[in-house]
Amino acid sequence: MLKIIISIISAVAVGATLAGPARAASGDTVKTIKERGSLLCTGHNGSYLGFAEVDDKGKWKGFDIEFCKALATAILGSPDKLQIIPVSWAQRFPALQSGDIDVIIKVTGWTMGRDTELGLQFGRPYFIGPTTILTRAELNAKSAKDLEGGVFCINAGTSIERIVADYMGARDIKYEALNFEKAEELRAALYAGRCDALAGFGPFLAATRFNAPNPEDFVIIDEVLALEPEGIAARQGDDNFIDVINWMVSALLTAEENDVTMANVDKQRANPPSPTIGRLLGVTPGIGDRLGLSNDWAYNMIKAVGNYSEIYERTIGKDSPYNLPRGKNHLWKNGGLHYSLVLD
Amino acid sequence: MVSFFKNSRLRAWFIQALVLLATVGTLASFILITRQNLLDLGIATGFGFLDRSTGWPINFALFEVTARSPYAHILLAGLLNTLLVGLLGISLAVLLGVIVGLMRVSRNFVLNLIGTTFVEAFRNVPLILQVFVWYAIFTHLPSPRGAISIFGFGFLSNRGLMLPTFDMSGWDIVIFVLGTGLFGYLIASFASSRDALRRHVWPLILGVVIALFVVLLFIGRTPGEAIINVPELRGLRFIGGVAIKPEFSALLVAIAVFGGAYIGEIVRGGILSIDRGQIEAARALGLSNYQVNRLVTLPLAFRAILPALANQIIWLMKATTLGIAIGYPDYFMVVSTSINQSGQTIELLSLLMGGFLVINYSIGFAMNRLNRHLAIKGQGG
Repeated sequence: MLKIIISIISAVAVGATLAGPARAASGDTVKTIKERGSLLCTGHNGSYLGFAEVDDKGKWKGFDIEFCKALATAILGSPDKLQIIPVSWAQRFPALQSGDIDVIIKVTGWTMGRDTELGLQFGRPYFIGPTTILTRAELNAKSAKDLEGGVFCINAGTSIERIVADYMGARDIKYEALNFEKAEELRAALYAGRCDALAGFGPFLAATRFNAPNPEDFVIIDEVLALEPEGIAARQGDDNFIDVINWMVSALLTAEENDVTMANVDKQRANPPSPTIGRLLGVTPGIGDRLGLSNDWAYNMIKAVGNYSEIYERTIGKDSPYNLPRGKNHLWKNGGLHYSLVLD
Repeated sequence: MVSFFKNSRLRAWFIQALVLLATVGTLASFILITRQNLLDLGIATGFGFLDRSTGWPINFALFEVTARSPYAHILLAGLLNTLLVGLLGISLAVLLGVIVGLMRVSRNFVLNLIGTTFVEAFRNVPLILQVFVWYAIFTHLPSPRGAISIFGFGFLSNRGLMLPTFDMSGWDIVIFVLGTGLFGYLIASFASSRDALRRHVWPLILGVVIALFVVLLFIGRTPGEAIINVPELRGLRFIGGVAIKPEFSALLVAIAVFGGAYIGEIVRGGILSIDRGQIEAARALGLSNYQVNRLVTLPLAFRAILPALANQIIWLMKATTLGIAIGYPDYFMVVSTSINQSGQTIELLSLLMGGFLVINYSIGFAMNRLNRHLAIKGQGG
């Protein structure tokens, strides 16, 4: 009898241990990446247009993928030392904790719950996600006010429902909310003219317009209902890795501020026009050794993917099919929210 | 002890008590463990959230619901939406079903063919597909600016069917519906005992109902408003009148047509189950075809089809949950959105199950009462 009880207790104990969250060693991720020789970064299960999509040659591309490449280049010297692991929205956090991926670069909103309860640490926001409005061009609406009385299609059960209700309520604009559970129905209703406008996350709206039977029939209104800062997330407690991520994003912005591009980076490195550019491109040492990286990491990165502006325009901006206006993702001096950290 | 187990009645009683105890104990431990797990995860439990405002609106409700309304209101609105589309859809389905059923047993070749085609077409396509097809049809009508005008009083567009309304409040309508039922019942029971009145029951009821309507219309008038409120295009939408939204229409038509096809077959089966002798006897008495149908065939068939019909009606009521696919805010959709927004999964799912249990049990109960009332005495059926 005693034996049976002991075996039951030990079985339960083993079960409880197994059921607990499996944590990868949250020590030195940069070291792990260097030893492995490749960075494990997030893709998507399918295509999230503009951010992580697979082209007709089976290669990953998109805004988030470019940041994965930038990080791989910064740490390992080459954008090819990268493995994209396709994960769903829900899988991304457990996949990071279990060590299936090194980092989450997947339009992930920096929320308090994720920051404190999920064991994540966020780098500075690399993208500002606006909630805005896609409407029919024939309505000639320039702002939400012009859509007074219109029908808004909204994804049911999302934060967009509340954002629109708050925004319109505060401005006393009457509207009718038509809620759909699935994105396909939402888009079909807009295309059919059942609703006058679709409220949602900017990149989603850009993709919706791109997929429309006649994309020129739809316009994105230059009015932001709400903003969500998207950050790059790593495992809690890896200070060095977070430093690398923050300075990687900052270097891309410093490059844009100083007009360092993929095309002119070699020229600028040979003859740096300013001390900042000299430090950025590793002509004067400091940018690399203080992070435990090589001193030419930023040069390699800009050579491989370009500066922030080049990444944006190529993947979701005006050189892409989605043509999403930069809006708040401009540099501060162009009316946006992005700025670089001080490179001393 | 041994003699206790030898007594078969005591033993059976003992085993049953044991099973009951185990079941109750298991359920109780499920509830307690779930509660503890939720507490450990820091998730609030209980129904306190029903009083909190939702922060999101729905576009169709029988009473005013806004983003400031509490969850309780939005859930009630969803429940009423389910009842509205369910009861209307079922009524139309039964009506269609009777017509189709009669067509199917008709000896007229054309009628028979129409009935058969209807049944085969709508019974063999999944309901959700039909809902999508109807919705696509209704949303591909012209936009409000190019709306099809119905004599200037109503408008048909991809925003739905706009119809004029009388200037009556919601309470006026509730009083009218209750009054109609009450007066109808009173007049019918009063007249049934007086031969002189019996012939005039319907005109009498109609007169009283119209009188009630006119009185309510004038008592409940809003000063400065027209008696009839005609919809009018202003900006992006129609102002005034009432809008029958495409989401509602699509779900209603799909349920009516799909249900009609099934009920048609049930009706046909009921009619075919009638002893031919009964119909031949009716004909021998010199009754016309219409009279045979109305006085003999349908009443007899009704008894036979009632149990199957009850099943079908309950099934159709549950099918209203397909509204979620096309954005009709029925009870299921409202509960589903509430779960996402409030995180109170278990409480909301139990409300969802409870709601449908009450609706469908009520239908079942009413149909059983009707069945017992109609059953031919002495035939055990």
